[in-house]
Amino acid sequence: MNIRSRMTGAALAMLLLLAPWTRALAADLPPLSHSLTTQPPRPAPTLRLKDLGGTAHDLAQLKGRVVLVNFWATWCPPCRREMPSMERLSQALKGEAFSVLAVDVGEDGDTIDAFTSQFDTAPSFPILLDTRSKVMQAWKVAGLPTTFLIDRQGRIVASAIGGREFDHSEMVEAIRGLLKK
Amino acid sequence: MRLFTLTLLAVWGTATHAATDFSVDAETGLASWQTETDGIQVRLTQISPDQARAFYQARGFSAADAERYASECVFMTVVRNIGDMPIRHRLADWRYVAAGQPRAIRSKADWERLWKQQGVTESARIAFTWAQFPTVQTFEPGDWNQGMTTYSMPRGGQFDLHFAWHADGKLHRGTLEQVRCADEHP
Repeated sequence: MNIRSRMTGAALAMLLLLAPWTRALAADLPPLSHSLTTQPPRPAPTLRLKDLGGTAHDLAQLKGRVVLVNFWATWCPPCRREMPSMERLSQALKGEAFSVLAVDVGEDGDTIDAFTSQFDTAPSFPILLDTRSKVMQAWKVAGLPTTFLIDRQGRIVASAIGGREFDHSEMVEAIRGLLKK
Repeated sequence: MRLFTLTLLAVWGTATHAATDFSVDAETGLASWQTETDGIQVRLTQISPDQARAFYQARGFSAADAERYASECVFMTVVRNIGDMPIRHRLADWRYVAAGQPRAIRSKADWERLWKQQGVTESARIAFTWAQFPTVQTFEPGDWNQGMTTYSMPRGGQFDLHFAWHADGKLHRGTLEQVRCADEHP
């Protein structure tokens, strides 16, 4: 067993230890909604971060694609609830000019691995590490989860605060509408 | 400050009165209080001292620092915009009242000062900051958020929470009544 897998094991043990905590908090949460608040288009702030494997990602390089940027953390119950729907959305739009970037705040790769390993299907989109929460502050995120929709020109055109069902038909329709522009 | 508090309490007397719903999670034994009024839904759910200790120790707090936080009365706080216009809250406008004494909720900035004095690591402080309920936030229709709020109350202590928010250019107010802090072992 290598060091990383041992550390992931330790992180998983910690997650299991915290399971009653997250279950208690998740049980009482409002249902996931599917609304997006449209905004006057404005340039998205810089988003340049490394993913779990150390590969650098730059939002500016994704111009020409519609991008869903989601700020989250493993300890945030609505973030945990909405993530599987983000993967389903990603799969539903596979092959189209659409990308998802999930930006984790303040956690390390082992903690995130321990969380995503519980899914039937691991997320296919990159999970980026905003270890010191500098990017979140630049994007003026006030709480988790917060999601932004970026158009092909690299502009923020919609946002959502709180958990969402991302593969809801209305969400998919809104994104397809942007893909046609 | 005192005048502002007294003014807030005076006008709260005229705020729309909505019932507070109470429920207990059969699995955890933890209680929730919820109210809906004028397009806002506010819910407080008890966080037990053990849950608070476990959460912050897992985020890098020492046992002593986690204990300092867990010694407060901690609630998971959920605010949801259930209306059709944007709402904006400012936690500094909220007051909790026990035995007739109104008090402000301890701010994230206050906690941050304490954690810096205690030498809590930056990564632990980042996790702490994002786990607390936002100080100021605007919610569009359908938006909601959650985070922890703390109250300087003893285990099992009871208080009323007077919350406030802005919508349609006006200040609105509501109350969660007879909220009770979690016991050491719910």
